[in-house]
Amino acid sequence: MAQRQVKENYFGWRGWVWAGRYQVERYLYLFHRITGLGLVLYLMLHLCVMTVFRVQGQGIYEIIMRLFDNPVFKAGEYLVFAAFIYHGLNGLRLILQELGFVLGKPTPPVYPYKDSLRKKRPLVLVMIALVLIFALVVLFDFVNGGF
Amino acid sequence: MRRMRHTYVWFAQLVTAALIAAFLGIHMVLMHLEDILGFFGVEIHEPTSWGSMIERAGKGSWLAFYILFLAFVVYHGLNGLRGILLELMPSPKVERVINWTIIALGVIAFALGTYVPVALFQS
Repeated sequence: MAQRQVKENYFGWRGWVWAGRYQVERYLYLFHRITGLGLVLYLMLHLCVMTVFRVQGQGIYEIIMRLFDNPVFKAGEYLVFAAFIYHGLNGLRLILQELGFVLGKPTPPVYPYKDSLRKKRPLVLVMIALVLIFALVVLFDFVNGGF
Repeated sequence: MRRMRHTYVWFAQLVTAALIAAFLGIHMVLMHLEDILGFFGVEIHEPTSWGSMIERAGKGSWLAFYILFLAFVVYHGLNGLRGILLELMPSPKVERVINWTIIALGVIAFALGTYVPVALFQS
């Protein structure tokens, strides 16, 4: 009889909201997941809405686009844009780590030890700074264009 | 090939991520950042209007752009969703159901998303 793996250190869905003794990177991962799910949901809605209303011709399309032209939808669009900025830049950080570009040079294990997370922390800070800068630039455009 | 399947699926996730960053970046900037584009000397007027949409739809380059973009984004998004669901360690039977549901959703989303651009391009 096949046996299931023992789930040691396995938080299950609770691990999605509580990072235990992990550090900031765990919360970045959590936010990556939330923004990813949000973007997939938006993608499906976007595909359905744009297909259904474009099929019905110019009149319906223009009515719907006018309906979307209000502050609530503009704020929603901004959130989608901000989620894309975060998900994209954090994803780039993860790809660089995954492919070993930011491992750094090996160092002797001299106390106080510097673990791999702390070695990569500068990259995390640069990523967060870039996300904030891009999000502010886009916010400026959205506000300037008139919410 | 079969043994390495998960590696290829994961590698495709990374490749599509990089491609989406470029494609979605272009799409979002063109559709939403008129003021910033204007600052750099690129003038775009009402990119979401019916006229602009029809003008883009008549160009083969935009059709290719949007079909490729859709393929990358549907793969990346739904494979990401599959990864999240598989992290819950379902039984092999449930895992198969998840895999086939995701594939079916992907095919439907791709067909839905390509229908209008292809129809407009042909008209």
